[in-house]
This record gives sequence, C-alpha cells and structure tokens, in this order.
Amino acid sequence: MGSGLRDRALWKVALGATGSRPGRGRSPCSGDRKKEAAALPGGPAGSANRANRPPERHSSPRAGAGAEAGHSKRALPGADRPKQRISDGRRAPGRGSCAAAPRGAAGEGAGRSASGRRSALGAPAGGGGGRGGAAGRRRPGGGGTSAGRGPGPIGAGRRAEALGRRPRPGGGRALGRRGWEWGGGPRGSRGRLGAERAGLRAPGGNRRSGFPRQGWEEPAGTAPGRETMPYLGSEDVVKELKKALCNPHVQADRLRYRNVIQRVIRHMTQGLDMSGVFMEMVKASATVDIVQKKLVYLYMCTYAPLKPDLALLAINTLCKDCSDPNPMVRGLALRSMCSLRMPGVQEYIQQPILNGLRDKASYVRRVAVLGCAKMHNLHGDSEVDGALVNELYSLLRDQDPIVVVNCLRSLEEILKQEGGVVINKPIAHHLLNRMPKLDQWGQAEVLNFLLRYQPRSEEELFDILNLLDSFLKSSSPGVVMGATKLFLILAKKFPHVQTDVLVQVKGPLLAACSSESRELCFAALCHVRQILHSLPGHFSSHYKKFFCSYSEPHYIKLQKVEVLCELVNDENVQQVLEELRGYCTDVSADFAQAAIFAIGGIARTYTDQCVQILTELLGLRQEHITTVVVQTFRDLVWLCPQCTEAVCQALPGCEENIQDSEGKQALIWLLGVHGERIPNAPYVLEDFVENVKSETFPAVKMELLTALLRLFLCRPAECQDMLGRLLHYCIEEEKDMAVRDRGLFYYRLLLAGIDEVKRILCSPKSDPSLGLLEDQAERPVNSWASDFNTLVPVYGKARWAAISKYQGAEHRGPELPNTASFASSGPLIPEEHKETVQEPDSGALMLVPNCQLTAEYFEKTWFSLKVAHQQVFPWKGAVHPDTLQMALQVVNIQTIAMSRAGAHPWKAYLSAQDDTGCLFLTELLLEPENSEMQISVKQNEPRTETLNGFISVLETVLGTIGDIKS
Amino acid sequence: MSASAVFILDVKGKPLISRNYKGDVAMSEIEHFMPLLMQREEEGALAPLLSHGRVHFLWIKHSNLYLVATTLKNANASLVYSFLYKTVEVFSEYFKELEEESIRDNFVIVYELLDELMDFGFPQTMDSKILQEYITQQGNKLVTGKSRVPPTVTNAVSWRSEGLKYKKNEVFIDVIESVNLLVNANGSVLLSEIVGTIKLKVFLSGMPELRLGLNDRVLFELTGLSGSKNKSVELEDVKFHQCVRLSRFDNDRTISFIPPDGDFELMSYRLSTQVKPLIWIESVIEKFSHSRVEIMVKAKGQFKKQSVANGVEISVPVPSDADSPRFKTSVGSAKYVPEKNVVIWSIKSFPGGKEYLMRAHFGLPSVEKEEVEGRPPIGVKFEIPYFTVSGIQVRYMKIIEKSGYQALPWVRYITQSGDYQLRTS
Repeated sequence: MGSGLRDRALWKVALGATGSRPGRGRSPCSGDRKKEAAALPGGPAGSANRANRPPERHSSPRAGAGAEAGHSKRALPGADRPKQRISDGRRAPGRGSCAAAPRGAAGEGAGRSASGRRSALGAPAGGGGGRGGAAGRRRPGGGGTSAGRGPGPIGAGRRAEALGRRPRPGGGRALGRRGWEWGGGPRGSRGRLGAERAGLRAPGGNRRSGFPRQGWEEPAGTAPGRETMPYLGSEDVVKELKKALCNPHVQADRLRYRNVIQRVIRHMTQGLDMSGVFMEMVKASATVDIVQKKLVYLYMCTYAPLKPDLALLAINTLCKDCSDPNPMVRGLALRSMCSLRMPGVQEYIQQPILNGLRDKASYVRRVAVLGCAKMHNLHGDSEVDGALVNELYSLLRDQDPIVVVNCLRSLEEILKQEGGVVINKPIAHHLLNRMPKLDQWGQAEVLNFLLRYQPRSEEELFDILNLLDSFLKSSSPGVVMGATKLFLILAKKFPHVQTDVLVQVKGPLLAACSSESRELCFAALCHVRQILHSLPGHFSSHYKKFFCSYSEPHYIKLQKVEVLCELVNDENVQQVLEELRGYCTDVSADFAQAAIFAIGGIARTYTDQCVQILTELLGLRQEHITTVVVQTFRDLVWLCPQCTEAVCQALPGCEENIQDSEGKQALIWLLGVHGERIPNAPYVLEDFVENVKSETFPAVKMELLTALLRLFLCRPAECQDMLGRLLHYCIEEEKDMAVRDRGLFYYRLLLAGIDEVKRILCSPKSDPSLGLLEDQAERPVNSWASDFNTLVPVYGKARWAAISKYQGAEHRGPELPNTASFASSGPLIPEEHKETVQEPDSGALMLVPNCQLTAEYFEKTWFSLKVAHQQVFPWKGAVHPDTLQMALQVVNIQTIAMSRAGAHPWKAYLSAQDDTGCLFLTELLLEPENSEMQISVKQNEPRTETLNGFISVLETVLGTIGDIKS
Repeated sequence: MSASAVFILDVKGKPLISRNYKGDVAMSEIEHFMPLLMQREEEGALAPLLSHGRVHFLWIKHSNLYLVATTLKNANASLVYSFLYKTVEVFSEYFKELEEESIRDNFVIVYELLDELMDFGFPQTMDSKILQEYITQQGNKLVTGKSRVPPTVTNAVSWRSEGLKYKKNEVFIDVIESVNLLVNANGSVLLSEIVGTIKLKVFLSGMPELRLGLNDRVLFELTGLSGSKNKSVELEDVKFHQCVRLSRFDNDRTISFIPPDGDFELMSYRLSTQVKPLIWIESVIEKFSHSRVEIMVKAKGQFKKQSVANGVEISVPVPSDADSPRFKTSVGSAKYVPEKNVVIWSIKSFPGGKEYLMRAHFGLPSVEKEEVEGRPPIGVKFEIPYFTVSGIQVRYMKIIEKSGYQALPWVRYITQSGDYQLRTS
C-alpha cells in the first residue's frame, strides 16, 4: 500500500506509452512472437498459431472405401520441400507483425499446390475427375505460377524439379514416396482455397493481435487532462471524468461516450476510487451498446457496496434489461443484479430471478440458477425458500448441461446448512446419464456430488461403476481424479475393485505426472505418493517416469525423489540408487539433501548398498552433504543395527565438514552411543569441548553433555578430564538454563555413583521396532479415499493438519512446525463437514493481529465508507494515549493516529480487521466539556453481528481504561 | 471446485486485473500472496499451492504473469489448475500472446471474458470458439440493436454451433508424435516414450458425423484384420476430446464424433515401447581448469535413410565463464549463446543414417569462480515430416452429413522432439 504512489507512476509510464504510439501493442511483441513461434517444438503445437497455417501441407485420404488401397500404395511421386512447409507453419503466427506475410505464404501455398497435385498422379483412379475440375477452378485464384499447369505426369515432374530450387538431400523421388498420401484430385483447389483463406483471415488475426480497441483510446484532442491523469490523485480525474460523462456532446457521440466509460473502468482497475461518478455511470447504463452496458454493470458491481443508496437507482435499468428481447442482455443484467452485494437488493432481484429460471434461453437460465445461490448468500442466514429449491430441483432436468450443473452448485450453496443437495436414486441416475454431455468442469463437479449417493444394491453399484468406467480415461486430469475418488468411495467394501481402479488410472496418472503443466504434474505426483502409501509396489515398473529432468522446478523434483524412495523393489533398486546418487551432487543443496535423505530411507531395506553410497558421499567433503549423511547414519543405526560397523568406520574425519546444529548433534550422538567402536571418538569430542564456549547452539551442548557422559562410561580414562572441564563450564559459565540444568543433573548423577549413571543413561542402542522415525506402515485405501482429489494430498497431510488447525477457532503463528503431524495422524474430518467447521460462527468476532494499514489507505477507506455505528461513551478527565494504545493493541486494534495528551478536542483513529477480512475503522472524539467520548465505527462489509462484537470489544477496552483513569 | 476470486498479477505481485466472483474472501488477501511466495521460495519450499489464514492460493505462472485463484474450500486442485490454464488458453486465443502488456491493452475484453468464464466461482463457458461468437474484438464497431444470439449458447451439442456453412467441406488431420528421451551420462537410455496427438482442423457444414479409422492393433484383432500385411500399433492411454463417443470406442474401438468447428485436438495417446533414439548424441566435454574447455559432439541420425530431420538444433552446455569460442562443424553451423550458456549447433536438414561432428573450443579464465555449476543436459530439437515413430496410420476418415455433401480429408504426419535430453557427465 505504501508504494501506491510509485505503482501509480509505473502505470503512468505504461499508459503514456500506450497513448503516444497507437500501434505499440503490436510492434514490440512481434519480434518476440516470432521467436516464440520458432521456439515451439513444432509449428502445430501452438494451437493458436494454427488458425492460418497454410493448409496445403496435407494430403487427402479419399473418404470411405478404397482408402486403404491408396494408403498401402503410398508410392506417390510429388515430393515437396518439407522444411519449407514447416517454416511456413512457423511463420504464420508471426504474421501479426506484417500483413504481407500471410499473403506470401498463401502464394507459396498456391504455387506448391501444383507439386501437391503431382501426388495425385500416383493416386488410384477415383480422384482423377475431381482433380480436373479442381484444377480448373483453381486457376483464376491460384496466382501466376501455378496457372496452366498440366495434369500430365511428365509436366508435373518437370515442374517438381523447377520448383525444387533447394537441394533435396534425400533425393526428390525418394522423399516423394513418403509425401502426400491419398493425394486426391482436389489438392489444387485446396491450395487455392487455402490461399484465399489465408488471405482472408490474416487481416482478422492482425486486427486481433494488435490493439483491438484502438478506436476506443481517446483521440488525442478529446482528452484534455489525460497526461496528468493517473498520478495526480483521483479527485481531479473524477472531476474531469464527471464533466465528460455529463457533457451532452459526449453523450451524443456513442463512441466518445464509451471511451470515457472505458477510462473510468481503467482507473477502477488501477485501484483508483471512482465511486464519485456513480450517478453518471448509472445514467450511462441506458444504452443499446452491449459492451458499454457490460462496463457500466461491472462498475456498479464494484462500487455498489459503497454507494448502496445510489445503486438502488440503477435497479430500474437492470430490471428493464432483464426483460430485454436479447437473451445476452437479459443474462448480463440478471448476473450483474445478483452480484450487487448490497443490503436491500434481495427484494428487487427475486422476481427477475424467478423469471430467469423460466427463460427460454439457456444462457439466462444458467445465470438465474446461480443467481438463486447469490441471493441466498445475500440473505445470510435466512431460511431456505422451499419453492425456489423445488424449482431448482426440477431444473436438474434442463436441456442445457451447464444449467444442470449450476443447479447442483446452487442447491449445494443454498442447502449448506442442511448438508447440501440431496442426491437420490432418480437424480443420481439422471446425472449419470447426462455425464457424457457435460464439459470437463461439469463432469468433475457431478462426480463429486455423486459421492453422496449410496447405491441400494451391489448390482446397482456395479452398474454405476460400469457407466463411469470411461471417465477414468478422460483427457482431463481433474475428471480422472474425480472418477477415481468416486470409485474408491463407492467400492469401499470391495478392496479388489479399489485395487483394480488404481491399476486402471495408473496410465492417466503417469501421463499427468509428465504433463506440460507443472502444477498439474505436481498435483498428480502428490496423489501418486498417496497411492503408494497403500500399494507400495504400484508404480515400481514405471520408476523411470519419476527420474528428474534438469529444468524441472524444485517442488516437482522433491516430490519425484520422494516417490522414487517409495517405489523401490528388488528389480529397480540398483537403477534408482544410481539415479539418486546423481542427484546428491546437484548444485541445489536442498535437492541434494533431499536425495540423500531418500537414500537413507531406502537404506532401511537395502542397507549395504546405501551405506556404501553414503560413505562415498562423505569423501566429497562438502559441508551440506556431510551433515545430511551423518544425520541419515544416526537414524539408520537406530533402525538397522547391522550397519553400525560400517557407519562407525565411515565416521572419522566427518567433524571437519560439519558446521550446522543438526549435523553436529547427529555426529555427537553417534560418537556417544557407539564411541567404543570408534577409536578417535574421545578426541573428536574433546575438540567440541575445547570449543564449547564459542558453540552457538544450546542443543549441541546438551547433546555433547550426554554423549560425553556415555562415552565416559565405556572409556573412562580418556574422557574423565574433559568431562570435568565440560561440567565445570556448563555449571559455572553457561548462560543457557537448560544446558546448565542438564550439567547440574549429570553432576549430581555422577555423585550418586557410576552404577546409577549406567542404570539411567544406558538404554538400548537401537530399536528397529520403534516406529517413530519410520512412517511406512501401509495405510488402507479407505483411510485416505475421502481426501483424494482435495487439497489434502497436495499440501501433505501434516501441513494440511497445521493449516486446518490454523483455520479453526484460535489463531496461532502462521506456520506450525511439522511435528504437528504426529498428533494428527488420524483421519481428518470428512470433507462434507469440514466446510461447516471452517465457517466461523456468525457473530463470533476474531480480530487479526498485525493488520497493518497505512495512514493513506485508512484515510481513503474512511472517506469511502458510511458510518455503520455511532455512540457516545461517558468519559471523565483527559486520556493517556500511550495507555490506550497499548490496551487496544492487546485486543488487536491498531492505532492509526492519535492526538497528543491533553489536546483539545482529542481525537484518535483506530483500525482492526477480522479473520474474514472485514475492516473496522473507528474514530474516537473526546470533547472534555461534554465529558463523553464519541465513537464512530465504519465497516467495509456490512455485517451487524461482527460489528456488534467489535463495539463490545472497544467498549470493554475504553471502560477499563476509563476505570483506571477515574 | 469453486474459486472465490481470480487475479492476474504482474511479476512483482501487483494485481493487474481481478474478478471477485463470490465475495467471501476479501480482495486485499492477495497482498499476502507475493510475500508468501517469496518467503516460500527462500525456504526452498515453494509449491503451486500457498495458504494464508483460511485462504488457499492456487497459482500458475505464465510468461511474466501470475494467475491466482483464491478459495476457502478444500477444492479439487487439478481442476483449479486446469481452469487457470484454460483461462490462459482462452486469453491467448484472443490476444495471441498473454502478457502484462496485452492484459493492460485489452482490459475490457479481459473483464468480459472473466465474466463469461466463471460465475459465482464456477466455470461456465470455457470454449473459446463459442466465446468468440459473442465476445468479439471489433471494438470500433458499435454493436447496436439486437445482436444475434449465438446459437451455441443454447445448443444441445455444446461444442458445435448449428447452421455452419462452408463452400468447400474439408478436414485436415495432423498426426504429431513427440519423442521424450532421457539418456544417462553413461549412454544408457533412462526414459523413452512417444506422446502422440491427432489434431483436426475442420471446415465442414452442418452437423457432420465423423468416423476415424486407425491401424489400431486392438481394432485389428477385433475385426480379424491382424494379418501379416497390416502393420498395427498398440496405443496406450488413449484420451479423446469430449466429442468422441467413448461408449462406442469401448465397445468396438470406433472413433466416432461430431467435431467442433475449426482446430481441436481429437485424441492423444502414449507408447512406451522402447524405440531407438532418433538422433543419438555422443559427447566428450573436457575441461582443463584455468585454461580451456574442449567439446566434441557426434550426432547420428538413427532413422530411415529416406527420412530427413529438419531444423535440428543441438544445444550443448558450456561453463558460464567460458570465452573466446571457436567451432568446427562437419555440417551446419554452431553458435555460442552466452545468456543460456550453451552452444547451439543447427543443422537444417539431417538425413537418416548420417553422422556429423562438431568440435568447439572455449577459453576459461585463469581465476576460477567460486560457485559450483550444475550439469545441464544436452538438448536436441528436430522435426521429421512424413514419418511417425509408432507407425500409426490413418486408414480412413468417413464424413456423413444428412445433406450428403462430399467432404475431403487430408492427412499429414510429423515426428518431433519433445523433452529430448542427454545428460552430460
């Protein structure tokens, strides 16, 4: 917020450029565009580019029978220069920059069409007649070069040579064989048409790529204040725009009128307060121009909450538009009306919505159906309108697929309190039958709703599963995941069906894991991990898919390493380890460490190989590697005691390369517990004791105390002296209480005799059964099926638990440490109920700490809001601002500004924000002669419950301070 | 899924344009997004999903823009990402290039589109072809009077408008296969897969019914065609556009559909059968510290002699502090691209069976820099027309429309490089 001014200035630069060079939108990017197009792996990959791709590059299979024959004899002459064609394809997208290009390409295309026709010669008879005709037709438009080309084989062949100006490496004829297949007669004409099309479409594309609404930009002369506009504060702009909007000349000229409106929207987008021209904008809504209407309605939806009284004036126009003959206008008006989000609008929108539900245009019905949900939300907790709900249920049978899905969504929202929309047998079956007609969003949504349906019999269950089978192979990952979840939940009593489903979605999931979209890839990987928890061997044969690619983002690499770690088996362990070892020396320390931890995880099963790799890594003498390896070793000897010997041999020398706390702790622990097997253990510990004064981590000192005492038990002679020194230091000089206490404790323990020390300190050195470090217990599919395809696997269960805890009643620090996962390993609340848990109780107020508003922002907001509440509070004497400020801070109310003590009159401005983002702005005004404090509260979202909550908090604070005073 | 609001932010995290669909999340929440993102990035725990308080941010990055959807619900993540990507796709179809500038220039259309794409947090009309029918860019023309209602908005077949008319009825079929390859530093192939797509460009009148025949092995087995004469291909993970009747495909492997108008991707498939890498690279990169780097790269075309790979680009990594490049190539030209730290060796046409060589020599500064560098892989780009690795073929395309017109299908095959990487030691 503080940088508002600077940002505005940035805008200005951008805008200035816009104004000064109308064609700019096109020119600077055209170069880039070309580059981009060339960088595409292949012309056709960018679908947008294909619109004008010269179509001559195709050969034609003849429809129907005989095609196969044609195809099997592909020995068609008529090679063409493939390179050139492709480059045409690439050039096409760059066309935007130069209108001549497409025509050139088209000309070329036309020319080439002749060579295309050569292929026709080899084609079986069928095409001949058509070709002749086509050639005839082609001539007039085909351009000079292609005209008069004879269909005879010889002529064509010659021409091929004539055309083949570029050297053809493979030999023209050899290439030609693989050239156009089924080159039917019409090739020639195709070329012409292609030329035509390219020629015709190019300008369209051109127009689009550039600055489509250039015409809307203010013509230089008509915008007097334009240059100074964006950064001279909004007031001038508002004034100027207001004048323009009222100007009858402007109003008379539709284009100019729309330009002014567009400028209003532009400023609104930039975050300037444009509510000042509300009246004028309302007037502008009465127009036949649908784009202008859209803009005005957008404006109204944005500012209606600020100007509810004025917005009511617009309702008339909106209502009128709701019965416009044009369904687009009807839909637009209805949608805007429902989005006004201001109190009191409900009574006006009810009738239009009801009309909309019965509208003959499905576009309007779609809007109206969602309008019901919006209306319900506006009401807040009002009771559900039964008639409306029935109407919506009946609309589930609507013709239009989107209306059907919107009905479900809307009902879900309206019936939230009652557990959402009811899916009974007829509805479920109806939806199942409509599924193929829906788009992917609709399908995913319906699949989610079907989770609620309980089939009556096994037979019905399997019928449903059969119907849905094809959705497991949908091209949309969202639908695949949705279908998978539905299968898992419906078949929760049939584990073999569940396994079967997971096998079926293996392909689609793997495909998603190598998706071009990183985010989809990431989500898929998270789900793969989830599945692996239950079916450890599930993806083992596809382990290579999870090898990391150099350019992948970090979060994908980390997920892949985790997956690799979980899918090792006897067959692939060698390859996986080799791959992971490669990652251990990656430039990114985080990634390298993750890979080492992964090897440590695999070591629990394949100990020897892994310990060997880890030992080799120590040889690199890299700090970030050594520390993680030692930590891995610590966990490993605990879980797999058989590797202790190997680990102990590897340890000497490590201490030189460990600087961080975690690594030091691990090393010291190892030295302490297994010191009898490491010859130089006492000397390593001695170094630590020597440097204990400069040691910064208390945890390391603690570990050192324990380790040294343990080592003392088995190697007393070497350790006694330094143990004494360490204890002395810890008791006499150490400043950290915990360390000192630990030192004292050990000292007293030693006084109790060596047997006592042994009894207390010597515990088992390993315990593979202890599951604390290990989290590899197989979890049944049903334990996570309800979380599948939600955010839970994507966050990871531990983080999700932390987040949902944060979202619960009390507010804690933003990030709970990951250890929280131990507490919450049980299944989370099922999704359906979660919503209600997350919703804060209406009326309960939660003020967010650290809501830092800048003074400017406060001022702006303050002036844009109406007073929501005003009251007076008895007050005696002066105010001590510091005390008050402190007290307010305790309840998370921030002080923006305050008069000095004793000022007259005394004023203070406060702000607070609750967890829904609702702002409370408060002014305190004390006029000593009246001996009362006047409180005015403004709120940016009108919600009485929270307002009352806020006022009571404020009263309590003031009451307390007042009491202290008096 | 349901998104409370959708934001488009510039690279600094400042909102360029936004739409509040549901009104249950304060629009100011977005101010937390960028700091959170930075913090996560610093921690090395960046993910496309962030949370602040009750709000979840699901974001994607496109060129210099962040597209962020906020939601309070435990939403379906992949669907939200798909939505954001679809939004990018729709915008790109309108402005060609979606970037900060095009958003600023076209904010009116962006608002219009955001309005139609989503309502109350739910995706509505996402098909750009249908959108283009009623959100046009003819900004200069005033749309007055009764504008035509797009029939599609009320259609039973949601992806195709009724009443289309073409003088000439044609269908263009592109069979494109991209080869993904990952080769270890020691030359063993770690991963090799083919991702194929069949793209159609349809110019057909009316409501035509199309049927596509491929040399699909399963189909051949079903129909008893699996003789020795017919080469067939076993497709895995076949995915279709929404228009294809999946039930028919499941029953008898018929691919039948009413196509959308214009371009679309009809189907995609995958083949994980191991194929010989089409272009094989052997490289020796010798680094003499403080003095020079010598690079020798040998490229071999391991495909049929009759085929030619076009636009071959082999990018070989070099240390970032290398200087004074010298090249020698047996064919094509090499270019040093310092900003990417690679040498790009381009060969315009590369016939199968041929073998070419490139040598490069770089100087290294005598003072070595501190930080270690990664080992980027060698990347290869190429395109082989008239050839599919899998051997997939379009056997027929039947077009039936009730008016009985004759329509012409055209086919083209291309094999291209996908993610084609060879690691260096």
